Amino acid sequence: MDKKIGFFICTGCGIGEALDVAALCKVATKEGKAPSCKQHPFLCGQEGLEFIKKDIAEGVNTVVIAGCSSRMNYDVFDFGPEVIVERINFREQVVWCHPANDEDTQMTAEDYIRMAMAKLKTLELPEPFVPEDVSKDVLVVGGGLTGLTAALEVAEAGYRAVLVEKESNLGGYTAAFYKQAPSRPPYTDLEPNEVPAKVQAVTDNPNIKVYTSAVVEKIEGGPGKFDVTIKTAGGSAGERVGAVILATGAKPFDPTPLENFGYGKYPDVITQAQMEELAAKGKITRPSDGKPVQRVAFIQCVGSRDKEHLPYCSAACCVESLKQAAYLKELNPEAQAYVFYKDLRATGKYEHFYKRLQDLGTVFVKGETSAIKIEQSGGQLVVQGEDVILREKVNLPVDLVVLANGMVPTTAGEENILNLAYRQGPELPILKYGFPDSHFICFPYETRRTGVYAAGSVRAPMHVPAAVEDATGAALKAIQVVESVSRGAAVHPRSGDLSFPEFFMQRCTQCKRCTEECPFGAINEDEKGNPLPEPTRCRRCGTCMGACPERIISFKNYSVPMIGNMAKAIEVPEEDEEKPRILVFACENDAIPALDMAGLQRMQYSNWVRIIPVRCLGSLNLVWIADAMSKGIDGVLLLGCKHGDDYQCHFVKGSELAGIRLSKVSETLDRLGLESERVQIQEVSIMDYDQIPGIIDRFAARLDELGPNPMKGF
Amino acid sequence: MSAANEQASRFDPGFAREFYALENGEYAKLCMQCGLCAVTCASREFMDLPPRKLFKLVQAGDKEAVLQSQTPWLCTSCMTCTVRCPRGIPIIDVMHGLKYFLIQQGSKAPVALMSKIFAENMLRRGRVFELALTNSFFLKAYGPVGAIPIALKMRSVGQPMLLKGRLPLKPPKKIKGLDQVHKIVKKATEVMKREGHQDGV
Ligand code: SF4
Ligand code: SF4
Ligand code: SF4
Ligand code: SF4
Repeated sequence: MDKKIGFFICTGCGIGEALDVAALCKVATKEGKAPSCKQHPFLCGQEGLEFIKKDIAEGVNTVVIAGCSSRMNYDVFDFGPEVIVERINFREQVVWCHPANDEDTQMTAEDYIRMAMAKLKTLELPEPFVPEDVSKDVLVVGGGLTGLTAALEVAEAGYRAVLVEKESNLGGYTAAFYKQAPSRPPYTDLEPNEVPAKVQAVTDNPNIKVYTSAVVEKIEGGPGKFDVTIKTAGGSAGERVGAVILATGAKPFDPTPLENFGYGKYPDVITQAQMEELAAKGKITRPSDGKPVQRVAFIQCVGSRDKEHLPYCSAACCVESLKQAAYLKELNPEAQAYVFYKDLRATGKYEHFYKRLQDLGTVFVKGETSAIKIEQSGGQLVVQGEDVILREKVNLPVDLVVLANGMVPTTAGEENILNLAYRQGPELPILKYGFPDSHFICFPYETRRTGVYAAGSVRAPMHVPAAVEDATGAALKAIQVVESVSRGAAVHPRSGDLSFPEFFMQRCTQCKRCTEECPFGAINEDEKGNPLPEPTRCRRCGTCMGACPERIISFKNYSVPMIGNMAKAIEVPEEDEEKPRILVFACENDAIPALDMAGLQRMQYSNWVRIIPVRCLGSLNLVWIADAMSKGIDGVLLLGCKHGDDYQCHFVKGSELAGIRLSKVSETLDRLGLESERVQIQEVSIMDYDQIPGIIDRFAARLDELGPNPMKGF
Repeated sequence: MSAANEQASRFDPGFAREFYALENGEYAKLCMQCGLCAVTCASREFMDLPPRKLFKLVQAGDKEAVLQSQTPWLCTSCMTCTVRCPRGIPIIDVMHGLKYFLIQQGSKAPVALMSKIFAENMLRRGRVFELALTNSFFLKAYGPVGAIPIALKMRSVGQPMLLKGRLPLKPPKKIKGLDQVHKIVKKATEVMKREGHQDGV
């Protein structure tokens, strides 16, 4: 596209008072070669917009707006898909964080103009990749409560769902529940199990195709065009779907190895699932002799919250025990329930239910439940434990013991569930304890396979209402992805982004860096080892672009030369002027908002910095650091998200990969005689805005100590 | 097995049920042992059991420990715990119910006795006659012989009070309208009887 640039400076919000705008216009037109430079006191207002639109009507197709952050007024400054809009942040990142009418502040603003003009040289409007034959159907794997709910939600939203269940009947673990814990106000009364009705609704729904006694044999392709092979009892079936919901749930933990509980040894020590079966008969009797029970002990955290077994809280068992204690009393008002617990995790609205159980006279005994011993002598079961509140030993004779055994995600097992034909493996990557990775902080259902959403207790331990909510959320996510793919747009966090990575294959050395580092498994490989990008799987993070040593991966609007040109456009003063320059590469997801917030709070920091936003630190290509250093920039600061198990990186692995790459650059710098401290990486979350001035000023002070970059002036 | 039998009564609902049947007693069920009342209570340092522990012992069915506790007698009804209890337990009302129950049971607690003597003394004139109050309390609580060492121990308090006229030797005058006060008390006693309580004072 032939760019016809219109350059506009907004003088509102204090910009006009703090900067010499006429001088800036000169930089834009003389150095930046902008055909014209116009200023307006209120660009985002009606009159200001008309001012811009007038130029667009006259043929301008590339609008540069120097004013507020691109995170503000992005909808206001949207002139349609044919017009490139480039924003220069004079407000949050110049006049609000640096002194007004100051030589260095003015130089900062000038540099940002040079950088934007350099950026425009290679920037193009993206052309979306829209695959042919996009399917908007959703595959739901698992026909338990979560899967049933997800399929119904998908169908009710007007899409077709394909449900695959391993067993011959739908319903899963909760199908056999005698009653359900309260899910509605006042959150005190037991409810009938809603699963059988859901099974019926799914069976009756013409928009849901159900396969029972079936498993997924293979999933090929990507969002919008997953080709699924389903193995059924009688043979096999094929389905093309647009998205996948993994809802295979969890399995109950087997308490047999925990010998102290006597499970398997004493018939009257049972699991929660067995209790449901007993209650379903309408009268709770002992498995050993069929006698009705009077005194029942519920032992919490059996296997859960135990380093040796399940290190996590299984989240549902407390409420399930409360439920069972409640129906014990309902079926036999004379019965007495004893709940042995470590902490009673009846969170949220379940507090009302817990209170109700107390009101029913349930006795709660707090203590280390893993130390409890169940013994039987003379036909009498005795629970031996400790009440840590009374500080005394407990020896309680009971008729029945119910173990609140925790849950183990189905993904923790050996068998494959999804069988994805992905280079990076057939299943979802695991975060911890066998649970698939999900961005649990911001985007819980998202997994590291675009278009595949995990929901329910396979994603994290959870109870009934949480699983229903999860299923609904995942269904909406699935619909979002099929709709986005049909427009060639990315899903979160770059929702709506139409760009995608293009590979200049002639120069590919088959080094496999991109295929290995893509956090989403978006790049497969052919037999010769060439990368085979699947654009619909791509999240547009640019990690592959940062990884590629040949620098042959680029987006229409984001590329290695584009950022390199921006770095090189910074004017570096001579050494004797004592004006060091710091280049900051800041992640758009957290660091840029934090920088904006620091500006919003009028926090002041060194005006030696020049900031370049990046899609993710994962897209950092080391050549940019070389570009900056050889240009004479004194130091480079990378601001990205937290990584590790509790990562906050929106692209999961990006910031971590940047750290790994950086460790390599340090060696190179050392070899060149440049202190490796000149390049630093810092983790910044959006909440850390108050630390921004400290981080930048400390780095500036350290660079001052190191002295100027010796490459200056070369 | 013997240990188990001993403990069989530990969490037995027997006494707990009896307690829950008291006026406001059933609120004790709802205590979740958060301990906010204990850290809040102004008289806590004098109590043998904080309200939290008292309620736990009720739930555990420990009749003896509950009936012997001084806690209800030391509760000053200041309301602090009651406004702070996250479970909304009207703790002072539970304490009142317990106190009443203890009096009915013929509690030997000194504070129980003090309450009774205080009421009798006050109803005679509509005002308290401190000297008579302390004397009859010491005599009744500790007996004529036992009262002497206690009285001697309290000399440092009593003497200055006498000298400053804070402990008059003569009884105070009856208040005006004492018969009205008696009428009120009579009426209250009637109401309590009608509701199945025994004599309130
Ligand atoms: S929900 Fe309750 S019983 Fe289950 S693991 Fe958590 S704390 Fe333990
Ligand atoms: S690394 Fe990121 S940009 Fe590259 S293919 Fe993977 S998801 Fe897409
Ligand atoms: S955290 Fe990163 S990887 Fe993530 S979005 Fe930010 S820099 Fe990127
Ligand atoms: S504040 Fe209330 S719930 Fe907490 S310990 Fe005291 S009485 Fe129990």
